[in-house]
Amino acid sequence: MLIPHPLLGLRDSQEFTYLGDASLMNRPDPAGPSAEAEFCDYVFLRDNPAGVHRELWFHEQGDRSWLVVTRNTLTHEILGAELARNLPARGAE
Amino acid sequence: MTRLIGGLIDRTAPLSFSFNGKTYQGFKGDTLASALLANGVQLVGRSFKYHRPRGIFTSGSEEPNALVTLHSGARTEPNTRATVTELFDGLEASSQNHIGPLERDLLAINDRLAPLFAAGFYYKTFMWPRAFWEKLYEPAIRKAAGLGALSTLPDPDTYDKGFLHCDLLVIGGGAAGLTAALTAGRAGASVILADEDFRFGGRLLAESDLLDDSWPSEWVDRTCAELASLPNVRLMPRTTVFGTYDHGIFGAVERVSDHLPPSDEAVRQTLWRITAKRSVLAAGAIERHIPFQDNDRPGIMLAGAMRTYVNRWASAPTRNADDQVAIFTNGDGGHRTALDLLGKGVPVLGVIDTRPDAPVFGKYKVFAGATVTGTKGRLGLQAIQIRQNGQSTWLEAGALGVAGGWNPNVHLASHHRGRPVWDEDRLAFLPPKDGPKGMFPAGAAAGNGATSVALADGMRTAQQALAELGTTAGNIPLPRVTDTPDTQAAYWHVPTTKRAWVDFQNDVTVKDIALAHKENMRPVEHLKRWTTLGMATDQGKTANISALAVMAELTGATIPETGTTIFRPPYTGVSLSVLGGGNTGRHFRPYRLTPTHAWAKVQGAAFTEVGPWMRAQYFPRDGETHWRQTVDREVLSVRKDVGLCDVTTLGKIDVQGPDAAEFLNRVYANTMATLKVGMVRYGLMLREDGHLFDDGTCARLADDHFVVTTTTANAGAVYRHMEFAHQCLWPDLDVQMISTTDAWAQIAVAGPKSRQLLQRIVDGFDLSNEAFPFMACAALTVCGGLRARLFRISFSGELAYEIAVPARYGHALMERLMTLGKDLGVTPYGSEALAVLRIEKGHAAGAELNGQTTAQMLGLGKMVSAKKDSIGAVMSRREGLAQDGRRLVGLLPLEPQSQIPAGSHLFTQGAAQTMQSDQGWVTSSCYSPHLGSYIALGYLENGHDRIGEVITAANPLEGQSFAAKVVSAHFIDPEGGRLRD
Amino acid sequence: MTDLIPLTALGATELRSERFGALTIAEDDSYGLASLTLRKGQSAPTPFGLTLPEAGFATQSGSTSAIWTGPDQWLILGEGKGQTDFAAEVLAQAPQASVTEQTEGLVCFDIRSDVEVLPIAALMSKLVNLPPENYATGRATRTGLEHMTVFLYQRDERHLSILGMRSYAGSLWHALVTAAARLAQAA
Repeated sequence: MLIPHPLLGLRDSQEFTYLGDASLMNRPDPAGPSAEAEFCDYVFLRDNPAGVHRELWFHEQGDRSWLVVTRNTLTHEILGAELARNLPARGAE
Repeated sequence: MTRLIGGLIDRTAPLSFSFNGKTYQGFKGDTLASALLANGVQLVGRSFKYHRPRGIFTSGSEEPNALVTLHSGARTEPNTRATVTELFDGLEASSQNHIGPLERDLLAINDRLAPLFAAGFYYKTFMWPRAFWEKLYEPAIRKAAGLGALSTLPDPDTYDKGFLHCDLLVIGGGAAGLTAALTAGRAGASVILADEDFRFGGRLLAESDLLDDSWPSEWVDRTCAELASLPNVRLMPRTTVFGTYDHGIFGAVERVSDHLPPSDEAVRQTLWRITAKRSVLAAGAIERHIPFQDNDRPGIMLAGAMRTYVNRWASAPTRNADDQVAIFTNGDGGHRTALDLLGKGVPVLGVIDTRPDAPVFGKYKVFAGATVTGTKGRLGLQAIQIRQNGQSTWLEAGALGVAGGWNPNVHLASHHRGRPVWDEDRLAFLPPKDGPKGMFPAGAAAGNGATSVALADGMRTAQQALAELGTTAGNIPLPRVTDTPDTQAAYWHVPTTKRAWVDFQNDVTVKDIALAHKENMRPVEHLKRWTTLGMATDQGKTANISALAVMAELTGATIPETGTTIFRPPYTGVSLSVLGGGNTGRHFRPYRLTPTHAWAKVQGAAFTEVGPWMRAQYFPRDGETHWRQTVDREVLSVRKDVGLCDVTTLGKIDVQGPDAAEFLNRVYANTMATLKVGMVRYGLMLREDGHLFDDGTCARLADDHFVVTTTTANAGAVYRHMEFAHQCLWPDLDVQMISTTDAWAQIAVAGPKSRQLLQRIVDGFDLSNEAFPFMACAALTVCGGLRARLFRISFSGELAYEIAVPARYGHALMERLMTLGKDLGVTPYGSEALAVLRIEKGHAAGAELNGQTTAQMLGLGKMVSAKKDSIGAVMSRREGLAQDGRRLVGLLPLEPQSQIPAGSHLFTQGAAQTMQSDQGWVTSSCYSPHLGSYIALGYLENGHDRIGEVITAANPLEGQSFAAKVVSAHFIDPEGGRLRD
Repeated sequence: MTDLIPLTALGATELRSERFGALTIAEDDSYGLASLTLRKGQSAPTPFGLTLPEAGFATQSGSTSAIWTGPDQWLILGEGKGQTDFAAEVLAQAPQASVTEQTEGLVCFDIRSDVEVLPIAALMSKLVNLPPENYATGRATRTGLEHMTVFLYQRDERHLSILGMRSYAGSLWHALVTAAARLAQAA
């Protein structure tokens, strides 16, 4: 696959390390009243859609940016890629 | 000899080769198949299941029959298609899948037993008795299965790999491929033209149609010369594009020197990963046959292949020059073969045309409305039975060409699961509409196979593909050509009660398909698996569509209703050697060396792999005959005097910025923000699920500058994790980090005399306990001005330091310390002694941080600060983890000289050894020379309350059981006095 | 000055250099290296008069050059500064930034061609998966080479610098010379 890096253009996916669902960016409030339950969902419960999925890729053999890549898991079509650091807090919703 | 006139062979370059030990002559430009045919050899192998004699069936990579073994010894290569094997002088080939000589194969008995081997044979036969499968059936089947045999010796050849990028990849260099490449090449696009053949031209080389009133090869040569002159075009003959992957990525194998005598130096094949913005699939078409009774005899081949052998290679398909050749066809294509044979002086028996209104194009006999209903000739065709107007006649024939129409070669277009589409006008499946993005089929591959149409289609398709890239490509002059007539009528198989082969390679007949139909295995997917149709190495290139048509007829459905089959990579077989890319042995993967590697080598150290690192494992001395002697000595030296160990492999990450302290507070479970400048703190990192992730040290060099260390194994993962924490969780923090592992050579100086030794190299630095206490760190200079960093940390439990200098000085520093410490008894120690020292001290390492353990289990639960948030803090407090009573303890076997293996499970003495009564497990184990006994670390249920108890450590895998006393994990100096002095 | 004798990344006292047809591959330890990362809100400094480059590029000014390595992050190369505390010099030029010494972190192999860019591109096509525009003069990028991470810096048509992790120097050298030897043999 080719990942459209927002700064470096199309780069081979072999340069990247995959992490998974971008909901990992939505870390719950550790001081909230139901923190434990929320963390449980955050850590263990992920969607695994057959279709459009927002996911985290690390440009390990590149500029060390974390990207949020929007990919159709059925066709591998990539609909976009953003720098995670530029997304607003809780930006992965 | 049946060599004809003309052809694209170099008669000035004769080549000699051997087949089954007999020597033959061929010419440069021949394939093994064309040379065998020119020598009158029709029988080249035995079929997979029935061991039927088989001959050459095609002239290309779709060949199901002519599989041979090339070379001998370690270079033996089985299952190679003779039809694509380029001839060279000295080529050694042999037939396969027979016992005894090819002509008298003992396993031909299988043919007599054919009724036993019907479709679904394996599924039906080997079901019972169940116990027989493993002992009897499977070994017997395995012995009989397969075609050629591997040498089982290491492959002596060299392989390579590489990466290419282009605007347009043109797959196939026939009529359409050549015009596509030239159109794009002239427009300035970067073009790769790949063809599996060693000569470009595709079927233009096989046909006799004139281009611009000359032989087609002249136009091909002119076009290739122009393409070769364009710097933006890369011509890749002998290159098979075998797979279409996502986003325009293709896999290709270039056979760099397979056409030359084997060599130890030359690269044999290169694996290319090609990234193309657009691609043109001009892979041509594959002719199909018409199954009829006994249609698998040597001498029966595709009519188009026959034209190729006659026109391109001047090889007649018969054993003797005066043997008659018959053609069986359902369209005009067969007539074309008859005309070309006659043109070369090959006697033609006639054309058997299934069409009642069959045309006549020349001076040959036409059997209109006729079929072939039988054949004779065990080792080569001798006679055919023709049925016409209800009458059957046997006629002598030395070869038979079969023309059943053409199947566009849609293989690469269906690698993304797109389904080929049936075209009733062309009687063929066309490439899928939802094929790979950016791929444009052209020419025969798109169903546009007539020469003039294919030439124009290549140009038009390239223009269309480049337009998507914003490039306008102009027209190129196309050669004049008069197309030969090419009508056909649907005719799929000649009905018979005997066997008519559909899939030659896996011996699947029309009867097998009928049986599958009867047994309700009707969907294509079931048909394939029940009969093994299309599941041989050729993936049924010459069989699938015919089988589909037969099934359609049986079910009464149309072909598109019956379904279609798609293909998977690779298009043709790819050797595992080339997929490996050529890196073998020591260079199978890259490895990392420490700055003192060369020094350790001179010392005679034994090395061990730790992840990608090569680390000195121990340093044997003269007279030491066992590694344990060496390691024991090294350990005792550290405890008594001073030892040196290269610890560069630990990951080092430089963390800076105004929010660096706050950031570290969030990624470490314990508090880092309160660390004073000039001090080091041990840190625990958790995963967000509350389990231990990694441990290391964190040194504060300045208010806004830290250096953290990670374990060797986790260096990359921790850095990635920290970048995730920064970029994805807390991008607002003003913190910068970068890996600096390789920049510093770091040497552990450990033992009671370490201060004394270091005092001899520091440039006036006060090392006293008051000035530089335990867990202090500083930047300083050593050895007359070399900048260095010093950390007073200890993994061994002794007074110890780690000193870091710029990596290029690591070697010299090690030598200097060795020289200056001679009188102190300085000893280098390796990773083995390092492990013993830390087990004696009860320090955690990878085995204790295995991803299933917690800070609490390690006895460090209090380090997980409740006063602040950090990754994993919330989840570490969940019930399941908080109530886990297992704790790290030391274990002393009652029998000091017996080693409790790591991984052993712990039980209360006398308790049943079951999952339910399991009390924990042993993580690390070694011999402690300090205690004179084996020792172990392990996690034990309520371990801290069981000090003194004797428990059982069991290793049921080897029937071992040990009685061991529970002790503190700190076998040595539990109060920590030594490292603080 | 210390009297300790440094070793090259390939573990020798002499720098290694090998020739393959039109290509020369040579180890070069003359560069001082430091990474420079901007802190929040900081505008890009101009250390040694360098205009810090954009993503995918490098810039050069006199004996100093800079390679873009990530958002707001560059690798500064100081020719002839291999034996000095180059990081301190860079920090002096950009006191607001986070600067980390990298001189020993990376090994530098220079690939020079007698003719034009073609042999270099041909060599690299065996080693890294990048489109050819990355070999235009002034381009610099990080990518993977035989599973190792490397920086490629095209200094001019005939000169490509490859910077890899120092501990991988031996494997990187092996990869380069193996590919170069095969290229020379095929030619």
